[in-house]
Amino acid sequence: MSEAAVVVDDVSKKFRLYKEKNDSLKTAFMRGRRSVHEDFWALKDVSFEVPEGSTFGLVGRNGSGKSTLLKCLAKILYPNSGSISSRGKVASLLEVGSGFHPELSGRENVYLNGSILGMSRKDVDKKFDEIVDFSGVRKFIDQPVKNYSSGMYVRLGFSVAINVDPDVLVVDEILAVGDAAFQAKCKEKFAEFRRAGKTVILVTHSMGNIRDMCDHAAWLDNGSLVQVGDAQSVMKAYTADIDKGDR
Amino acid sequence: MTYLSELFASRELFYNLTMRDVKGKYRRTVLGQLWSLINPLATMLVYTLVFSFIFRARPSVGDPSGLDIYPLWLMTGLLPWLFFTRVVTGGMSSVIGNAGLIKKVYFPRMHLPFSVAGSVGYTWAIEMGVLVVALTVFGGMPLIWVPVAVLFMVLLALFALGLAMLLAIGNVYFRDLQHFTSIALQMWMYLTPIIYPLHLVEDQAEVHGQWILDVYRLNPMERFVSVFRELLYDNRWPDLGDSLVCVAWTVAMFTIGFLVFKRSEKRLAELL
Repeated sequence: MSEAAVVVDDVSKKFRLYKEKNDSLKTAFMRGRRSVHEDFWALKDVSFEVPEGSTFGLVGRNGSGKSTLLKCLAKILYPNSGSISSRGKVASLLEVGSGFHPELSGRENVYLNGSILGMSRKDVDKKFDEIVDFSGVRKFIDQPVKNYSSGMYVRLGFSVAINVDPDVLVVDEILAVGDAAFQAKCKEKFAEFRRAGKTVILVTHSMGNIRDMCDHAAWLDNGSLVQVGDAQSVMKAYTADIDKGDR
Repeated sequence: MTYLSELFASRELFYNLTMRDVKGKYRRTVLGQLWSLINPLATMLVYTLVFSFIFRARPSVGDPSGLDIYPLWLMTGLLPWLFFTRVVTGGMSSVIGNAGLIKKVYFPRMHLPFSVAGSVGYTWAIEMGVLVVALTVFGGMPLIWVPVAVLFMVLLALFALGLAMLLAIGNVYFRDLQHFTSIALQMWMYLTPIIYPLHLVEDQAEVHGQWILDVYRLNPMERFVSVFRELLYDNRWPDLGDSLVCVAWTVAMFTIGFLVFKRSEKRLAELL
């Protein structure tokens, strides 16, 4: 096994489920400082390593903690215990077109969105044509994005994000973006990523995607890690478990 | 230290977020950026009518500039105040307003209130530029005081930002805070000698007791307004005591706001 791009070490994440939350001054005063809550562990002692250059799938049922883990990887949430360390630049693709301003043109939004995702102006300059060509909205690039169709909007957002060029890319189920032709282009882009030795971590419910793209996978259930290893054996165990559950 | 260096490394984001607000605000308006001048002009007209013609507020003549024009005197105090309130209210709601972004992308969150100060400051700089031209046309000599005034503009921006960051975090826990703040800011304005001169308060203090003035002058905005008046309207060095109080308030407020924001930043995605 090659060196690890990302090490997830004993990560736990707790959420507070408030029964009665003090979110206004009135309730805070009426009840004193106490608010009633219950702890919910979305992740429990999860540890694994993502080998460098691999495409790593996270699978599990709804509510198993995949997205929480992904958000921890993307530094949006912070684990209550344990640590996540990664080598190189990490970029996340949890939503496309974050921070687009509807009144600004596509061109201005590419620069804005690029800098939110951590690209410098020079990076965007260099990649601008590639981004626009990939999105296929060149004709409308100087129009305000509020006039875009939802497909164009999403495609432009995705094109910026995919061109951030990180060492590790964290992706939530956004492969369902755009039409079939655009999806094929996205898959090709991920393949290119892999050939360049970059690491991709993705969450998806599509078995097809995992089979086509991933070489490693981890299976989460109820916040705990069930199995981690090469994609085929994890998927076999996971599908077997789902079939069993269905019966 | 790494926190500051990360903030500095992503300064382009600050610039882009600022320009997003600046460019986005007046898109699809015929007058565009001119609106940012029309607003304070309209306020100036109303206040001049009410407080100069009807209530007969008489500020003392500019010393040594010799200016005696209420609207200009008003604006040297009102423009800093308007900047202050816009940064506080805008910065305070910037975290909740960008909840979608905070939940989906990692970036130094402090750029959200910072960029509010940036875009509001951009407008303010234009307004102050026009004011300086007007003061010069009517016989003042504000030009040589501009560098010092810019320094105090930066101080006021940091002071406002400190308060805005503090309130932005408070607002995440208690949404009541933004409604409370808008009322507090209204009262605060009338407790600051912006539309009436300070000597009216001094007169009352002589009659009713010195403590009135002492309490009144605890207000940091009173000091800031005095400093801007002395620099631009009177054209002289600001009172040293006032200047030091401004610096002290700025350092204290910005430090508190910065530390509180930094401490809560990591948990924002969960709390929103």
